[in-house]
Amino acid sequence: MLLADIVSIPKDDPVAFTFFTGYMAMLAASVFFFFERSRVEGKWKTSLLVSGLITGIAAVHYYYMRDVYTATGENPTALRYIDWTLTVPLMCVEFYLLTKPAGAKKSLLWKLIIASAWMLVAGYIGEAFTDGSVGHSVLWGTLSTLGYVYILYTAWFGEVKKLADQSGDATVIRGIRTLAWFVLVGWAIYPIGYMCMPGGWLNTSLGWDSSNVDLLYNIADAINKIGFGLVVYNIAITTGESKTAQA
Amino acid sequence: MTRPIFLFIASIFLLLPVIVATGGISIELQLLICMPFILLLGIPHGAIDNVLYMNEKELSVQKFVSIYLLFIGLNVLLWLIFPIVGYLSFLILSAYHFGQSQFSHYLKNKSLLNKALFISWGITLLASLIFFNLEEIQGIMLAHPEFTLFEKIHEQELLKFVFFGSIGTSFILLAYMAIKKHLSLEIVLMEVMILTLILVCFFLMPLLISFTLYFVILHSVKVLREEFLFLKMKNAELSVLGFIKMVAPFTLISLFGMAFLFILVEFGIIKFSYGYVFLISISSITLPHAYVMNKFYNLLSQKGINRQLTT
Repeated sequence: MLLADIVSIPKDDPVAFTFFTGYMAMLAASVFFFFERSRVEGKWKTSLLVSGLITGIAAVHYYYMRDVYTATGENPTALRYIDWTLTVPLMCVEFYLLTKPAGAKKSLLWKLIIASAWMLVAGYIGEAFTDGSVGHSVLWGTLSTLGYVYILYTAWFGEVKKLADQSGDATVIRGIRTLAWFVLVGWAIYPIGYMCMPGGWLNTSLGWDSSNVDLLYNIADAINKIGFGLVVYNIAITTGESKTAQA
Repeated sequence: MTRPIFLFIASIFLLLPVIVATGGISIELQLLICMPFILLLGIPHGAIDNVLYMNEKELSVQKFVSIYLLFIGLNVLLWLIFPIVGYLSFLILSAYHFGQSQFSHYLKNKSLLNKALFISWGITLLASLIFFNLEEIQGIMLAHPEFTLFEKIHEQELLKFVFFGSIGTSFILLAYMAIKKHLSLEIVLMEVMILTLILVCFFLMPLLISFTLYFVILHSVKVLREEFLFLKMKNAELSVLGFIKMVAPFTLISLFGMAFLFILVEFGIIKFSYGYVFLISISSITLPHAYVMNKFYNLLSQKGINRQLTT
């Protein structure tokens, strides 16, 4: 049955609104990255492909999530985590691909993937299997944060930062720094969403609930996934242009 | 982002939910949790003032210690004769010192605009700490009769005015510096984010725990790191252990000094409460320390090495 047959979008529901705009924006971003892939230098093609995959996977999930939300009004937690389980490690792959020309090893890739998987699995247990208690929320939230802090450190001070510096390419250094900002600010929205769930302190102290979670998650997803891809695209295009100019 | 800022952010993310979940923490328990960090990291950051000061000046240790003690003595006298002036000057001096330390690696000290930023940032910090934790502070004040003198300074409306005035000034100055390119937009964004996080921390966490998080990580660890790297520049062979040995003597003297004062309070020789004696002691150490650090930061910016020591 088509969505249009069963539901309409309430005009005063920003969550439903952002589910639809999020879906369209992710889809458009994927098309953009896939088409632009042919314009960039060979070493950046995989990065652009991954950017397109990230927004593409998210677009498919948003297609389902908006249906679930508009039909039931419920928070599509499982679908969100399936989306993140695929896309967040791919964002970490971007760090590896961007620093690969400067000598990034496979071990870096695996460490980032494991940290992101740890972050997501702990977050999922904390959110999906909540008994509403503060203890459960804090325990799994703290465990999840350890993965986040590791990625944050790697991007700002650790291997990724050092490799970017080693590359000697100002565009790559600036690009990695921008991605590190995404991890710092953009990814920080997810813990805020997590803390709105039953047992989270924003839920218990300020009364925020799942409607706030969905709105925050939708905004964060759009900024992070499309923004991440655009930074990668900018690196690929700028380094290509500077080489052409030098020739 | 500097390493102390990273440490601060990571600590907030990991500790905030845990502390908020525990509900209220008594002031005694807060003291028990915070004291080891303040004593082991907070006190040492001012324990090599002699090394930093005498680095550029021809001065014997005895003469330095004499001048340092003279400053301390004058401050104690001020507190005894004019306690409100003593308390206010302590707050203003601390505000300037905290602000200067926060921006030491970006800015050269001498400009008036920079000094205005240091003081307004520091006042925001201290005003928000008192404003957001007024109930707790009033509880402490009620338990110690000497603090009733400061009731007028801790009046809610006055604090609100000072807090909003100083935070507005800080943001305007930061925006102006970004527009005039004295600071990059990235640095300004980072500083706005850090100040916001500090305010969230002060708002949600108990008084001592939130202040300790700021004071130990963003202030003391940062200064210790700058001091270590500065001395390492002078002596490449300086190790962390060597640095600990350098800060140990004056740290221990300060700790024994405070313990001695508390014994005097215990036996009724000093007629003030522990809290009041602690406040005067901290204020008295802060005065010469802030002076030495001002000289130190001037030296770093003159030599153009202030950025190297932090990033």
